[in-house]
Amino acid sequence: MKRKDTGRLAALLNTVSLPVIATILGLLLGALIMFLSGHDPLKVYSVMFDKSFINVNYLNQTLTKATPVIMCGISGAVAWRAGHINLGIEGQMVCGGITAIIIGLYMPGPAFLVTLCACIGACAAGALYALIPTFLQDKSHVSLIMVTLMMNYIANYLSTYLVSFPLKDTSSVNANQTMFIDDSLKFTRLFSNGQLSTGFILSIMTVIAVYLVMNYTSFGYESKMSGFNPYFAKYGGVRERRVMYLTMALSGAVAGFAGFVEVFGTKYRYSSNMIASSGYAWTGLMASLVGQYNPFAILFYSIFFSGLTIGGQALQRDFGIPLQIADIITSSIMLFVSINIGIHLFKAGRKQRTEKKEETGNKTPAKEAA
Amino acid sequence: MTSAYLISIINSILRMTTPILFATLGCLLCNKVNVFNIALEGQMLIAAFAAISVNYYTHSIPLSMLAGVAAGGIVGFIVGIFQVKLKAKDMIVGTSMNLLVSSFTSYMLYILFATRGSLTGNGMVGLHKIPNFPESMPVLYGMFKNLTYLDVFGYITAVLIFIFLYRTVPGFHVMSVGLNKEATRSLGTKVDLTQILAVTMSGILCGLGGVALCMGNVVIFTEGMSAGRGYMAMAASSLAGAHPLGAILSSLFFGTAVASSIALQSYINGQITLSFPYIMTILIMAVSGYIKYRRENRHHIRKGKTK
Repeated sequence: MKRKDTGRLAALLNTVSLPVIATILGLLLGALIMFLSGHDPLKVYSVMFDKSFINVNYLNQTLTKATPVIMCGISGAVAWRAGHINLGIEGQMVCGGITAIIIGLYMPGPAFLVTLCACIGACAAGALYALIPTFLQDKSHVSLIMVTLMMNYIANYLSTYLVSFPLKDTSSVNANQTMFIDDSLKFTRLFSNGQLSTGFILSIMTVIAVYLVMNYTSFGYESKMSGFNPYFAKYGGVRERRVMYLTMALSGAVAGFAGFVEVFGTKYRYSSNMIASSGYAWTGLMASLVGQYNPFAILFYSIFFSGLTIGGQALQRDFGIPLQIADIITSSIMLFVSINIGIHLFKAGRKQRTEKKEETGNKTPAKEAA
Repeated sequence: MTSAYLISIINSILRMTTPILFATLGCLLCNKVNVFNIALEGQMLIAAFAAISVNYYTHSIPLSMLAGVAAGGIVGFIVGIFQVKLKAKDMIVGTSMNLLVSSFTSYMLYILFATRGSLTGNGMVGLHKIPNFPESMPVLYGMFKNLTYLDVFGYITAVLIFIFLYRTVPGFHVMSVGLNKEATRSLGTKVDLTQILAVTMSGILCGLGGVALCMGNVVIFTEGMSAGRGYMAMAASSLAGAHPLGAILSSLFFGTAVASSIALQSYINGQITLSFPYIMTILIMAVSGYIKYRRENRHHIRKGKTK
């Protein structure tokens, strides 16, 4: 009994410590790169963290940036934990954003109704866009990974076409973007200065909702089981195709919702390449993987990674260090998580211990067997 | 549509195929040893960046090619170590590697050259062009205009890989690793080493593809210039059933998709045509996947009907 408890504690420690070790290594690698390009890493990091988490104005920016990132992370977690590698979150978010802006600009009626329609439309668009690759995988066994990846490019080019021609705001000559949505549609801002809007609250509600769905409904259980062991799930009576379609639709809908919140809560219009260039989907996916699909860990890592990006922008202004340093740190953290550094260390330690045990007390397992 | 236009399209297809062909051959080697490598995109991009950087400082074609190949190989080696030795999940390694390379190249572009977006000019040299047919033969002249040695070398590499895999003993060892890793290990083949070498080789081939991409027609590096070619190569490899000679055909198909998207820009809006190669990739994968699935399960399907 006691041994079991320590085992569980070790496992919990491992799930917590693994991302932490990876984060430290990622930050060290970032420091090395900064040092090699001729900057003092300590000074740079202190500015980076000051201008992302500590200073209130920058914290506001960080949370604004994190709003869609959190939802993209949740979207990724929903699909990935069920074993469906959805790399098309970006495309699904673009679809949601474009649908939201079209409804927001052209639908007449009271503000409340337009917002609701835009929200439903965006979720539906994201879900449908995610169902296309699911359908193809189901019918012709095409790799979901490849199709979802390709569909990102398609969504980006087509959305750029839409905002450059049919939806273009003709008063802006240089930029390809749509008009602003009406003031009555814009989300309320939480603070007088800064862009943080009620969208952030929506994203936290998404986290809680998905947590509840995934842990307290039979659909959530079936979805998790089919990711854990598809054969067992099938044996246990899970209708795996139905669960696959539902899971991917939910993943796409959350991504589409992220697009809607980005348009109605922060940008108020759609400019070309707005979603792809900011890399929300990929940052979200990384948060999802580093947080090991746990919604609350995703919330934490989304804010952390978004903060790094905002801090990276400050570095570009203050030191002339390109803001991509933030992406380098983030993706190397994910790389370190992938090799399970914590698990390797933990296993190495346990192996030594068990070997010692076997040497000293070799008779105990035989006793148990008898 | 005039014949001159058609000839220029064929020329463009030949040039667009080369990077995809190299990446497809790299992907095929990974398929043969049963390693799922989606870092091809990153391998190409880092090679293009390394080649252009060395080109900028040295103006030497061999040195820049060497740099490109080495950079691709190093990234391939890292991916191989991570996936084979450290048992990391292929999807996570590939995705993070692609993101790491794309941000690293943008970072270094600014640190080294103080520029954003793209790098060109400063007397950088392009690859040597092959000797062409005389202008008195306009059709052949037009088709083979401005082709580089690398364009030709792509097809030679495909044949060489075919001979290596299907006609030599080491080649059979490589393929048996993919078929049954444990059985091959029991015969005394160094399985892990073979897998890592194959992934490194895929990095080297993608490196050649990256060099062809940035020094082939126009000498330029653009952020994210591989633009999904690594992913197309994966589609091309699966379309060819991981056969080197089939890879030539499937790469030519994807080369055609990319070239036609550029050629059609004079008729249809550019943003729409740019999405054509991706749409065509999905369509061809769906159709070939459906046919393959039907063929493999013909027995079961017929059985189900008679019941």
